[in-house]
Amino acid sequence: MDFAWDVDREGDVSLVRCRVRNDDAVPRRVRVESRLDAPVLPPRRGGVPEDGWDESGATLRLDPGERRALGFAARAPPTEPPVEIAEVAAVDPTERSGDTDPGEGDESTASATAAALRRLGDHRPPRDAVADGSDRLADADPVVATGSAGDGGGEPEPGPAVADGAEPEPDPTAPAPPGATTEWFDAVDARLNAVEERIDRAERLTDADLATATEAVAEADGVDGLSGLDESVAADADRLRELSDRASALAARAEATDAPIEALEQLA
Amino acid sequence: MILAVAGGKGGVGKTTLAYNVAAALDAVVVDADLGMADLPGGRGPDLHDALAGAADPRETLRAGPVDVVPCGRTLAGARAADLRRLESAVAAIERERGTVVLDCPAGRRADAGVPLAVADACLLVVSPRAFALADAIRTRALARELDAGLVGCAVNRVTEEPPTDAIADALGAPASVVPADPRVGRSVAEERPVVDAAPDSAAAEAVRELARRVPR
Repeated sequence: MDFAWDVDREGDVSLVRCRVRNDDAVPRRVRVESRLDAPVLPPRRGGVPEDGWDESGATLRLDPGERRALGFAARAPPTEPPVEIAEVAAVDPTERSGDTDPGEGDESTASATAAALRRLGDHRPPRDAVADGSDRLADADPVVATGSAGDGGGEPEPGPAVADGAEPEPDPTAPAPPGATTEWFDAVDARLNAVEERIDRAERLTDADLATATEAVAEADGVDGLSGLDESVAADADRLRELSDRASALAARAEATDAPIEALEQLA
Repeated sequence: MILAVAGGKGGVGKTTLAYNVAAALDAVVVDADLGMADLPGGRGPDLHDALAGAADPRETLRAGPVDVVPCGRTLAGARAADLRRLESAVAAIERERGTVVLDCPAGRRADAGVPLAVADACLLVVSPRAFALADAIRTRALARELDAGLVGCAVNRVTEEPPTDAIADALGAPASVVPADPRVGRSVAEERPVVDAAPDSAAAEAVRELARRVPR
């Protein structure tokens, strides 16, 4: 049995790598055991340990000449050697049980859940998709965060300020860069411009004489281009009124706030 | 008795049929779609909490025309849910209530497989379209690997005569036709199972037929 190992320390944890090769002419069952002073943290898939692993090591079945690499972690300082081959046993070559001990067979049938978890892909959404508590506020409502900062932000700095926003460790309590606010208001302006264009057109058609109406229709590429204009302008009016009410209410609230950030920073 | 309602493809009506078959069986329906729950929610602990070890599974039961174990709607909850707890959670509900219907998610990942592994039997929902059948056949294979015996398949939302025999041959289980009926479609949102809302309709009869195939 050819055996090599290597151990790294990462904080409180030892990471052990080893390689076993069966240099006999017959299949062997090999027991590799940890000598570290802590339970083995075996490789897992979907939270379920790989076949053959337990808390003191792994049992492998190696065909003649087969080489296998394995690794595990343990919460203990490294020792010399960190692993050893505890047992080598002959295997009946007709038996095709993989790496498991005979005793482990019924264990795996007992837990269909573990089998399903081991064989199927992980269902969990990726960690990055789940905002943790600290940045949830900033992620959930960027408009509020940037809007409140905009009032005190003063001079808009479009280019470089946006780049600042991509800092590796954004502080959730820090005011958002004023550039983002400008961008947001630019988008609002663009939308308002579109609405203004529609209203302009509707105004020119209101009580228009024939010549002006003809001109407006021609500009819109025919009457078809104007279909639905009255409904959309009416809808615009409703939305704009709502928006204006809300915007003025928010502006009043924004003016009324007086967060004592400086005082808090001094206390911190 | 734990019955998994599965089907591979999304949107074929697994949730709707799970809810209505549970009504016909007088069973509890568990929303096992951890990522995209669509049975009625509600206040209080849900399946995410039970699978995260934060609630007793029996606390998640929510009474209604059909009793429901709702599932949380958040990604964080889906991430925290440990599928290894599903078996004992469902067993606890089964001990309490007898029959449990699991509404499985689409796909072939662990969240679709573990309910099948936990269930005693499964019911496959297919749409009468060929592309949905291919997914149902894959789910059938998965159910076979995980020892969830197939009690039947429901060809759902049928408007014209489907090739029922071909579907039954492909899946290896009797195929029941559930005709398209708006009352079935609305039943989950309104919490009015079709066997109560329209007991004489063809859809209600189809649901009862599916329920009769489930061994008790």
